[in-house]
Amino acid sequence: MASEPTNLAISPAFTFSASTFQKLHPLEYFRKFASQGVRPDGRLLSSFRPTTVHYGVITTADGSAMVRMGGTTVVCGVKAEVAEPRLHAPDQGYLVPNVELSPICSSAFRPGAPSEQAQVVSEQIHRVLQESKVLDLKELCIEEGKAVWSLWVDVVCVSYDGNICDAALTSVMAALSNVRIRKPTYEEGVVKVAGVDLLDDENSFRLNLARTPLSVSFALLDTDLILLADPNSAEESISQGQIVITLDETGQLCAVSKVGAASSSQQLLKQCIERARERSQELRRIMNQEQ
Amino acid sequence: MSRLDRTRTSPHQLRPFFSSQNLLNRSDGSAQFDFGGSSVLCSVTGPAEVKLRDEKLDKATLEVVVRPLVGLPGVKDKALERNIRETLEPLVLSGLHPRTLVQIVVQTMKDDGSIASTAFNAAIMALLDAGIPLSSILGSVTCTIDSQTNDILLDPTTEELAQAKSTHVFVFDNKASIHAEDKSSMDHDQASSTQESSSAAVLFSDSTGLFTEGEYLECAHVCFKAAQAVHGFIRTAVEKKLLKEYQQTSA
Repeated sequence: MASEPTNLAISPAFTFSASTFQKLHPLEYFRKFASQGVRPDGRLLSSFRPTTVHYGVITTADGSAMVRMGGTTVVCGVKAEVAEPRLHAPDQGYLVPNVELSPICSSAFRPGAPSEQAQVVSEQIHRVLQESKVLDLKELCIEEGKAVWSLWVDVVCVSYDGNICDAALTSVMAALSNVRIRKPTYEEGVVKVAGVDLLDDENSFRLNLARTPLSVSFALLDTDLILLADPNSAEESISQGQIVITLDETGQLCAVSKVGAASSSQQLLKQCIERARERSQELRRIMNQEQ
Repeated sequence: MSRLDRTRTSPHQLRPFFSSQNLLNRSDGSAQFDFGGSSVLCSVTGPAEVKLRDEKLDKATLEVVVRPLVGLPGVKDKALERNIRETLEPLVLSGLHPRTLVQIVVQTMKDDGSIASTAFNAAIMALLDAGIPLSSILGSVTCTIDSQTNDILLDPTTEELAQAKSTHVFVFDNKASIHAEDKSSMDHDQASSTQESSSAAVLFSDSTGLFTEGEYLECAHVCFKAAQAVHGFIRTAVEKKLLKEYQQTSA
């Protein structure tokens, strides 16, 4: 009986459930988990979410893929269209990536003009495809100065749960490897693309991808510089910075970006590159399995 | 070895800096920063009233608007906006002005390569001019790896960017550089390059192209050294401006 008053003293005036605590103090809630080396969704700080890749999910597209990373689902479709080349590059086609984050995937996005995040991801993909020379645009030429292929690479997010960068780039690379375009014929200013017969190696061609860059993202928690691999949307909202490492199959770097958070040491970046190497190999295995 | 622009003799040479502060009289702070033929004008308004939607209860909202040299802002400018905003957010002591807006407008005036770095430097000088409290100063430098010679070229021009194998933009804060200065003054002989590069804490890094991990770290090291010059330049520019102001008020 003597212990009762002390018990009363340490028991707080009111208590709330874990889910209420999460809503009131998301950062503190997360720290409680991180201090034990785990995350609220049960992952270790350095582990990635289960990932699957499916090819050819859209039959009306010339190439398509769907990628799931945990709760994030993106669908990518590639549509080839005959277009007129630019004057300064008469023998080069177009490769136009676009990422759409509509309200369908999360309540965080509003209808209307593309959000800043969608534009930033589109730009990241565009730059990786262009500057890492993934595809020689000359291969998309039908007749120099007259007609070229224009590849519209559209990524639609169906369900958003963080790490859109990795999911989007993986789906773009998977869809590009899935592309099969009918061989066109060019005669006197008219491009003809043959009828409805089944696609085979005779009457169609595949894209000759020089490399397959895949990105690996990490979120940075500012105060103690905790590194979180493959952040979900709750973790993204409390993190202050992110590191994205893009590698091709030979382990060569295609892009490195570190944005936000306080200064991070070179050691941290090296660690990220190391982890990204392992992860991109794993991603490649998953991509090849499904093909 | 001479560079493509023919005014520089070394691959690690930067173009001459130029800056001037307080050019616009209707904003709270403004600055122009030039790297040779590249020039960016930046204005800062704030702390000002914030839109209800963007209001943060415990700190100031930072808004960055990037205007290109010609035409309407595109996806590239949006990406630069986000990069500048997220890099400045940890530097600005935004807790001192809760529920306000600090608006930074970045306008490219002349484009001859390294626009991102020029914009970063112009933004920090404009923030200094506006008297927004900052925890440290940043300095930014761009470098490329040449596709033919594999040399690291600092502060590339448009021409050099066109034939680059990879492009790297780095931003360093001056905390690390003060740290490095202390270290090198204490043990001058032992300050090896590895020690210096390990102290090069990166505030922002953006690299594209094709490169190895070694090349990336080498670029970071070279840019870190060059960023010291930018830090020094910003420091002298601010000192000169303050001296002038002091003379005017005391006269």
